[in-house]
Amino acid sequence: MKNVLTVMRKEFARFFGDKRLVLGTLILPGLLIFVLYTLMGAAFTDTGEETLTVRVLAPSASFAAYIDALETAAGEEGIGIAFETAEGDEEALLEEVGESFDALLVFDEGFDSLLVPGAPAASRPNVAIYYDSAVTSSLSAYNAAAQLLESWESGMSGLFNINVSAGGDLSTAEEARASYYAMLLPFLILTFLYSGCMGLAPESIAGEKERGTIATLLVTPVRRSELVVGKIVSLSALSALSALSSFIGTFLSLPRLAGGSIGETLAAYSVGQYFALLAVMLSAVLLIVSLISIVSAFARTVKEASAYSVPLMILVMLVGLSSMIFGAADVPAAVFLIPVYNCAQVLAEIFSMRFSALHLFVTLASDLVYIVLLVWVLARMFKSEKVIFNN
Amino acid sequence: MAEIIRAENVKKTFTLTRKQRLLEKGAKKKVALAGLSFSANEGEIYGLLGPNGAGKTTMLRILATLIRADEGEAYVAGKSVMRDPAGVRASIGFLTSELRLEDFFTPAYLFGFFGRLRGMDDAAIARRREELFSKFGIDSFAEVRVRDLSTGMKQKVSLVVSIIHDPPVVIFDEPTNGLDVLTAKVVTDFLLELKGQGKSILLSTHIFSLVEKLCDRVGVIINGRMAAEGALAEVRGEQSLEDAFFDIYKREVTGR
Repeated sequence: MKNVLTVMRKEFARFFGDKRLVLGTLILPGLLIFVLYTLMGAAFTDTGEETLTVRVLAPSASFAAYIDALETAAGEEGIGIAFETAEGDEEALLEEVGESFDALLVFDEGFDSLLVPGAPAASRPNVAIYYDSAVTSSLSAYNAAAQLLESWESGMSGLFNINVSAGGDLSTAEEARASYYAMLLPFLILTFLYSGCMGLAPESIAGEKERGTIATLLVTPVRRSELVVGKIVSLSALSALSALSSFIGTFLSLPRLAGGSIGETLAAYSVGQYFALLAVMLSAVLLIVSLISIVSAFARTVKEASAYSVPLMILVMLVGLSSMIFGAADVPAAVFLIPVYNCAQVLAEIFSMRFSALHLFVTLASDLVYIVLLVWVLARMFKSEKVIFNN
Repeated sequence: MAEIIRAENVKKTFTLTRKQRLLEKGAKKKVALAGLSFSANEGEIYGLLGPNGAGKTTMLRILATLIRADEGEAYVAGKSVMRDPAGVRASIGFLTSELRLEDFFTPAYLFGFFGRLRGMDDAAIARRREELFSKFGIDSFAEVRVRDLSTGMKQKVSLVVSIIHDPPVVIFDEPTNGLDVLTAKVVTDFLLELKGQGKSILLSTHIFSLVEKLCDRVGVIINGRMAAEGALAEVRGEQSLEDAFFDIYKREVTGR
């Protein structure tokens, strides 16, 4: 145990003694993610909150009545488009689309009187929407106006209404956010964890081989297993710190993307769920560090180790994507025996508030077995001259 | 005198990489040791002489338990390198050019680190550091990162780290290789000092003058076999060690 701690202290001293490594691994990932997501969120939110201006030439009374009804139903939130009656020459108005206003609607002369149910297509009246796709707000105005006209046109037959007097989305804002997090965060967390490990493990294992410093350690009486455990635990702790940096950056900026505040997001989950989250992340990071360490032990150089780790990274990202595509799938407990995939699933369950203690237990217990097995394999590899001295 | 190192019919064959095969006329394997036997006694300096590729370094790596022999057995301080490698590692100080120090750290940090790995407490490390750092003049660059040191300084640091635990057996592979004359003198003087302290020293080299200056007994390895072994005077006879070596080499390679 004493030797394990000595090896760990050396790994920590190596890491924290290198300011560039600390900056690149602990500070920048979280900071960059926060800035990036905040900017993305701001861009989305700004577009969503902006009221688009659409001018209407020769307005239709029935369309105006439809819009009035929608605005009344929307209340203070509004429908996001301000329709204004246009005056003047159509040609002159077209010159101003995308500048003075976002889009121009031009109804055919006598539009309302031409609305005859069952009329052939050729004799139906037309609404022209003019917009400038080079201007984002103009394109948004076109999409919104087209959607409104489509729904108005669909409702013309008047056979039945959808979600007018009853019905609607039953999820609360918290549930909607939880579902969003469950879709996105497992993938992001696994990717962050892997990136953190990738930056450290190849350097620590293959780097020591490449520089010839591993042999200096191997001529001491320290057991190979102690060296391996010391390296794995310290690398896992550092990778977890790196992942934590990314996670904090993500967590602080996600409310900008998903709506709500940081306080609401934090309060959405219980203390127990946060502990479960921590346990799964640690389990995942230990698994990933062990896997990359084994791959790195085979490599002769850091460059080679990084190249060998790429297929593994793709695999881990695909597993993370599975939760993005399928969410917290309703799967049997045995599935939680599959390493890495089980972490993605449990993370999705935690974030979607469908947390299962059994699934968490199966995941942590099975991962512990895999980690012990991988450490044993790595210790065996450290004893093999064909592996350690293959360069 | 009692034997402190004994190698019995040690054999080792390496599988060659594709690139290495080009240099070995397509052979897939290379015999590094073809049944090497020798013994070194307690308190003496034993020199392994031989050309490049003769198997000297392979033998030392087996004794240091970095690699395993395919056949045969070797003992250091009464411990088997095959069955008790940790015991052997605790008894030896091993220095070779293939063992490097992490150049991010300072000599002071590395000394402490390896001292703790050798099971020493802080007080013992501090005492040993004071003794060795002042002897080798490391104090002046003890807090400078290894990456910023000269080759000679690095070799001094490697040397003190290898003997931090005051081992009874010291195994040095080409200890003066690449060193300037001043640093080389410090190293050779230190080896004599270790001998004076009763330590047993095994060193491999192809520098005849070093062997003549330091060694009590010599083993000449050619093509993985012991071609000649004995006291320095016996091996060289009436001629210089260099001439004696070439006679032995010629006899072994040409059979005449």
